[in-house]
Amino acid sequence: MAQPEKQRSTIRIYLDILSAADEEGNAKTTRLIQRANLPHDRLMKHLGELQKRELLVEVSDGGNRYYTVTPKGREFVNEVRRAQSFLSAFGVSI
Amino acid sequence: MVHPYFIENSFLSLISGLVALAVSYYAFRYRRVTGSSFLRLLSVGFMLLGVGLLVQGSVYLLAEFNVGRFADREALVYGATGVYLVLQSAAYLLIGTGYTIRVQRGETSEGTGTAAAFLAVQATPLLFGTLVLDAGELVILVLVSFVVFQGAMAYSELRNRLSLYVLLGFALIALSHLGELLGSLLASGDLYLVGGTANLAGFCLLLLFVIRSGRVGSA
Repeated sequence: MAQPEKQRSTIRIYLDILSAADEEGNAKTTRLIQRANLPHDRLMKHLGELQKRELLVEVSDGGNRYYTVTPKGREFVNEVRRAQSFLSAFGVSI
Repeated sequence: MVHPYFIENSFLSLISGLVALAVSYYAFRYRRVTGSSFLRLLSVGFMLLGVGLLVQGSVYLLAEFNVGRFADREALVYGATGVYLVLQSAAYLLIGTGYTIRVQRGETSEGTGTAAAFLAVQATPLLFGTLVLDAGELVILVLVSFVVFQGAMAYSELRNRLSLYVLLGFALIALSHLGELLGSLLASGDLYLVGGTANLAGFCLLLLFVIRSGRVGSA
């Protein structure tokens, strides 16, 4: 019997989005959809939440929209990675 | 004086208590970011351990120097030691229960944790008298052994350095409780000192684990 696909936690999704945006510098929505492996509507919902928490900002350049990680967002990513490392020693994931 | 190395053991307990509180702080800090229920249990568990060890170290120092005629009040010394044993039992129970909760996929497996809870509850009403304090040590030893077993399972699955630190840390803490139990049964000060040293070494390994895990992402 096939194993059910493991569902990502919200914190894990935030980490994936922020990490992708940080690596890209100025990340386009289409790039984030690929990198975070999320459908458009869910990605937009999470992007809205991340902007509300001031972890990510939207930058408009002509007709294009880009997303950039804020210093607070970068610190959040580092803290989640530390927590992930801490938890992994106990066999638990975020 | 109850046994040699009494003061040394008291200081070892105080330092171990501070290390346990440091681990508790980091678990609390990471819980705020992740909202992990496992980290909540771990944070409270280590906080109880830290407080328990600080109580133990302080009580033994007060008794050793007979501050405020503390050593003359036998019931107070036994009572304080009892509090320390209950706190430690509760702490290892929480950590053991937390270990059984796998946050991955929301799966839980709490069978062993429940058994450990039963053991702790059974021991609590008995905490009056030296024999009973030894029984308390035995209960803690059982609970820590359970945590070591879970740690070994996690290490066999992950095979990384951090999980090895956690496994060795708890193994040394289990060894320390065995040393302290045997020290009490055989009235051996040397075994007490071995127990106290193993306890501190175990907590230092846990501290090393906290420091190493904290380096991730800060480069």
